[in-house]
This record gives sequence, C-alpha cells and structure tokens, in this order.
Amino acid sequence: MARIEIESDVTGTVWKIEVEEGASVTEGQTLIILESMKMEIPVLASDDGKVAEIMVDEEEPVSEGQVVVVLDA
Amino acid sequence: MAFDELYDEFERREAKALAMGGPERLERRRNAGLLNARERIDFLVDSDSWVESGLFATSHIESDRESTPGDGKITGYGTIDGREAVIVSNDFTVKGASSSVVNMRRIGQMRRTASERGIPMVFLGESSGARIPDNMGAYNMGTILGGNATQYRRLREQPWASAVLGMAYGSATWYGCLSDFNVMRKGAVMAVSSERLVSMAIGEKVDGQELGGWRMHTDTTGLVDLAVDTDEEALDAIKTFLSYLPENQNQLPPEKPVPAGSDDTARTVLEVLPEKRTQVYDVRKIIERVADKNSVFELKARFGRTATTTLARLGGRTVGFVANNPMFKAGALDADGCDKCCSFMVLCDSFNIPVIFLVDNPGFVIGIDAERQRAPGKIMNFMNALQLMTVPKLTVMIRKNYGQAYINMGGGKNAAEVAAWPTAEVSFMDPAYAVNVVHGKPGERLENTDPEFFEQKFAEFQLESSVYDIAASYGVQHVIKPEDTRDWLIRMLQVHQNRLSGGLGQHFLSNWPTTF
Repeated sequence: MARIEIESDVTGTVWKIEVEEGASVTEGQTLIILESMKMEIPVLASDDGKVAEIMVDEEEPVSEGQVVVVLDA
Repeated sequence: MAFDELYDEFERREAKALAMGGPERLERRRNAGLLNARERIDFLVDSDSWVESGLFATSHIESDRESTPGDGKITGYGTIDGREAVIVSNDFTVKGASSSVVNMRRIGQMRRTASERGIPMVFLGESSGARIPDNMGAYNMGTILGGNATQYRRLREQPWASAVLGMAYGSATWYGCLSDFNVMRKGAVMAVSSERLVSMAIGEKVDGQELGGWRMHTDTTGLVDLAVDTDEEALDAIKTFLSYLPENQNQLPPEKPVPAGSDDTARTVLEVLPEKRTQVYDVRKIIERVADKNSVFELKARFGRTATTTLARLGGRTVGFVANNPMFKAGALDADGCDKCCSFMVLCDSFNIPVIFLVDNPGFVIGIDAERQRAPGKIMNFMNALQLMTVPKLTVMIRKNYGQAYINMGGGKNAAEVAAWPTAEVSFMDPAYAVNVVHGKPGERLENTDPEFFEQKFAEFQLESSVYDIAASYGVQHVIKPEDTRDWLIRMLQVHQNRLSGGLGQHFLSNWPTTF
C-alpha cells in the first residue's frame, strides 16, 4: 500500500470536491474541480485506490504543485 | 561411431549454455514470477525463428569460463510477427549480466547487423553495470571501455525498442535511453548506479523505487514510455510498438486491415466536446474515435500530460497524433509537454510516419516557473523540430488556438493542410486578456473597473476570432464538421503523401537527442 499525494497542476480556486474521504476511486476519476484560467480544471486520481485525505476546502485557493488529495493505493 | 565424441561434446556444451546461471538461480526467478532471459526471447519471437549468435561464448577470463555461459548477454536473431529483429537479452543469472569484453563484442555484432541490414533492435534490459574486476584499473580501462566509436551513436536507421525488466544500471539503462520506445515492468529500477552504490556514496539508505522506479520515470523524467505489470505485458508492448514501424527508415510503415466499424465510431466524435468553452474534455477520446478502431497506442501517457502523443492508424496506415489535452492545465503547453512533443516528432520524422496535430490550447504556460524550466528554449526546440520534419503534416483546430502555440501546433504553413471545426477560435491572445492589454491599465482588470466597456470590446475581439475569419484569409484551407474529421484526414493523407520520394521523408530529426 503506497501513500500517493495528488498535486494540483495549476494555480486556481477549488470549485467542487467530487469525492469523500474513504471513497474508492479508479485511475483517471475526477476528485476535485478547480477554477483556473477561466476554465473548469479537474484533478484526477493517478491510481486506483481509496481517498485517504482531502487537503482543501471548496473556494480555497490552491497553487501549482500543492497537494490536494492523498490516496492509499 | 567416429564422430560420437564430437557430438557428445557439442550437446554437453549446448546444454550448459542453455542452463544459464544454473537451476537454483532460475528457480528463484520463477518463484518471483519473472521470466528468464531465454523465456523472454521465446515469448517475443515467432516459434522456430530464433538463431543465437554466440551460444558458446564465455568470459574472456580463463578462470571464469565455466561460470559464465553466454557471458551474461544473449544475442541473436528472431522474427516478430514475421519480420526480422535483432535481440539482446540480458541474463542476470550470469554475473548479473554485467558488461565485459566478450558480451560487448556480442552487442557490437548485433548493432552492426541491425544498422547494415536495416533490422529493428530489441533490448531486454536488466544489468548490474560494468563487470568488476574485469573493468577495474587503468590498464583495463584502456583496453575495454570506450573501445568502440559508434557504441552509443544513434542515427535511427532502424527502430530500437527496449524493456527494462529488472535492476537496470549501466548498459541496460543506456540502451533503454537510446531506444525509440522504452517500456518498464513495475518493480524494476532504471538508474545510473545501483541503490547499494548510491547509498554507499552519499552515506544514506536510498530506496530503489525512489531512485529509478516506474512512477519516477513515467511521471517525472519521461524516460520510460509505458509501465506494465508483468514481463509478458512488456514484451507484448514491444511487439505492438514495432507493429506501427517500418523495419528501417528506407521503408514505409506496414499497412494493416481497417477494423470494421471504424467509420461509424468516427461520426460520434462531437459527443466528446462539452458545450461550454469553459469545460474541458479528454482529447484521447477524440483520437480513439477518429483513428482506426483499437489502433491507438499512447506514448508517455503520464508525462507532460498537457500534450498527448500517440501512434495510431488511419485507413490502415500508421500516423502520429500530437494533441493538446485540455484535461490538463486546460491544454496549455508546458516545458514537459514541449519535450514530449519533440521526442514524438523525432520518432515520426525518422520513420516516415505522418503527423496530425489536434489543437485546443489557450497558449503556452507562462510565469516565473515556466521561464525557470527554460520555456523559451523548449518552445523553439519544438518549432525547429516542426519545421525540420519532412513527413506529411496535417492540422485540425478543435477549439482554442492562441499566440505562438498556434504556430507550434501546425498552424499557418506549418502543416501541408489545415482544417478547423466550426467551434475553433483563433487569435493572438484570448480576447479577455487582449481587451485588458489594449484598453486597460497595469494592475487593473477592465472586467471589474468598467464591465460594460469590457463586454463591448470583448464581443468585438471575439467576433474577429471566428473560424470563418481565418478561412476568409485562407489561413485554414478547410472548415469541416467534426463527424467528417476521419474522412478528411484519410483523404488528405492520400493527397499529401511524398510521391516524389516513394513516401520517404528526409529524416532531418533522426540524429536528434534520444531523450529530452
């Protein structure tokens, strides 16, 4: 079991959180939607696994490279 | 019988060579679910096609002869899907497949044959580096290493494919990085030096996966094109990769039958595009629909994801797609994305594979980070590669297309023919920024200070960005309905094939760097 930190690859604002802690997710699934560059940019699961921790709240600003979700995979 | 002894000796020696590092070592591999060097070859080549070159080779050091069957690297010829391949399979059970005098000769012979006869090369990598003590000391450095002025020379006369299937240091790493395709089994490690040596050198424990595991090489370095779970999947990936490529750069890629239903799927392509321009989509879904059914083979899927690079077929012929993927950073090209595009264009240009650009991006990623990552240099590498490519290039503009990225993504005369969907919007800058640059003041956004004026100017700028404006100046030659994209591409590939050279390009990129 690896602890996988999912980073935002853009600077923006958290618009919607699409999963809950403990949820099972599959690779490529949308975890969070950010608002950035006037676009809705998804943060995707890099692996199949379980959501261990959501590190941000809706409407919170995030910067590029910031860890927003931790998966157990 | 007169020759019985000769035959006995032959059979005894043959059995010894085929037994590699001995039953215990082979058993340990089997228990770990790993194929050995000979099983890998058997899995890869057509049955009964394998001929080994150097079956009776051993170490050049007399006292090591008995313990070094094959000298740790198995080399020879086999056919893959009916076409010849030159193969080097590292045998880790013999001296950790370390490099020494005789096995370097074996590899040299393979490289020469591949180059001179125009045959693809396959490296099945797993090696511990230069053999010690063979290579130790100045005398041996003077006689062994560096004895071949073409050992690491790549002109891409023929495709090279590599699989990293275990601990790869030295040789296996070098050939992986020199190859056009590098697949890795998850759990393997690819690095300059072993974790043990690195730990000794820096005085702290280093983890192999952190040093050179699949995540690092597929996400961060991009030195690996694909990671898979098993040896068998890795070998299948090599077969798949080679199926798109010609045997050498003086041939055209092989043609395959067009799977039934490909045309029907292509007509559903608009389903992928969201209605709102602020929403993203995965361009890979568009490529899957436009290309021949099940023909898509993506390279470096986890690296530089703002761009998608994928081999595929259109009407049975190999093509390369270079696409912006709005799913990541809205498709804005970053440094890694540029490197990935360059690496893919080098592959396509070297092996006569036409390139298709699918465009939807708001421009290049800008900012201090981007500049630190050498964005201007990357953008110009990309441009230089694009303009040096002599394979047919076609461009389809899907949606946003702004600024310098418009030129990089095959805009203007940078493709033989350019089409745009009616959803395309083309300009030097996103209208929202342009209104502020032209009419605003530094530090202010007109959206906030004078929204009414902003809306009026925004509408004007956006109007001028329509697809029919660029069609009017013949900046695009075609406006096409999305569902006709596949037909248009197949037709344009017919028109723009290089008839004067029999379909061959000039391969100006074939001596470009082997990694970026």
